[in-house]
Amino acid sequence: MAAPQAGTSATHPVAAAPSESWAVERQMANTLGLCETQMTSALQESDQAVDALIRIFTGLADTMRDLGAVSARLPPEIKANVADDLDAQLAAITKQIGSAVIAFQFYDKLTQRLGHVRFSLATLAQFVCDPAQTQQPEQWDRLHATLRSLYRTQEEREIFQLMMDGASHTASNEGRCETSAAQSTAGDIELF
Amino acid sequence: MSVASPRTILAVDDSASMRQMVRYTLEGAGYKVVQAADGVEALEFARTGTVDLVLTDVNMPRMDGISLVRELRTLHSYKFVPMLVLTAESGQETKQRGKQAGATGWIVKPFNPEQLLATIGRVL
Repeated sequence: MAAPQAGTSATHPVAAAPSESWAVERQMANTLGLCETQMTSALQESDQAVDALIRIFTGLADTMRDLGAVSARLPPEIKANVADDLDAQLAAITKQIGSAVIAFQFYDKLTQRLGHVRFSLATLAQFVCDPAQTQQPEQWDRLHATLRSLYRTQEEREIFQLMMDGASHTASNEGRCETSAAQSTAGDIELF
Repeated sequence: MSVASPRTILAVDDSASMRQMVRYTLEGAGYKVVQAADGVEALEFARTGTVDLVLTDVNMPRMDGISLVRELRTLHSYKFVPMLVLTAESGQETKQRGKQAGATGWIVKPFNPEQLLATIGRVL
């Protein structure tokens, strides 16, 4: 059996030469477009599921509230036997519902942030197709400024700053977790 | 003996799930809730109806919450109505724009139901 010649392999054939329509920029744009489309599809699916979940949750919570009203109207002779236990159970459920109301809001925040990521991917896909822009550092600065202007939450701004300062993905996440724990603005209230 | 009618709150948010959470929280405390999906819809309602308080998001299609507050302040019947902004935005610059537009206060999402009700109780 003849030995394979240099530059060829029996198991790894040499890739065909790119066609005229093939370009690195086009491949990058298509791949970024793929990521954006996958994210959009996943978000649409989860939107429907979360909407259904919230309808069920509010229905259950409304029913629990009705039960509280029924409990308040119980005749004194019945209430004397069950009222304390019933009220304690209702208070516990009310507390859990309050926690769920906070938790559901994080989905809204997630949707908003992923919307910014989708826009960023689409913007980058357009940008990389134009070599006149990609070769100029000031155009990259302009692109970053555009992306920065999208960010609405403290978390997004923190990640952006860490990454622009040269931190790795891992370091950014770790650094952000530390600062967020200490400086979260969620729930902050300011009256003017 | 007269029974006081419930106070009405206009809740404005483009997210249906957020409106549901706000509605559930406020109705449970005895408020009547009117909902709008963006600033334009809220302004249309405000031109013909009045409420006791406005609770609005910032980032919405067609008209954002800060523009809505500014527009509402030009309406005679909304000159002194408390307007709270409920948003994920925590930047000082946006907060200042809200204050200049006439907002009464700023609440960063996610809201805690008890704290939201306490804040509304303070400004009503």
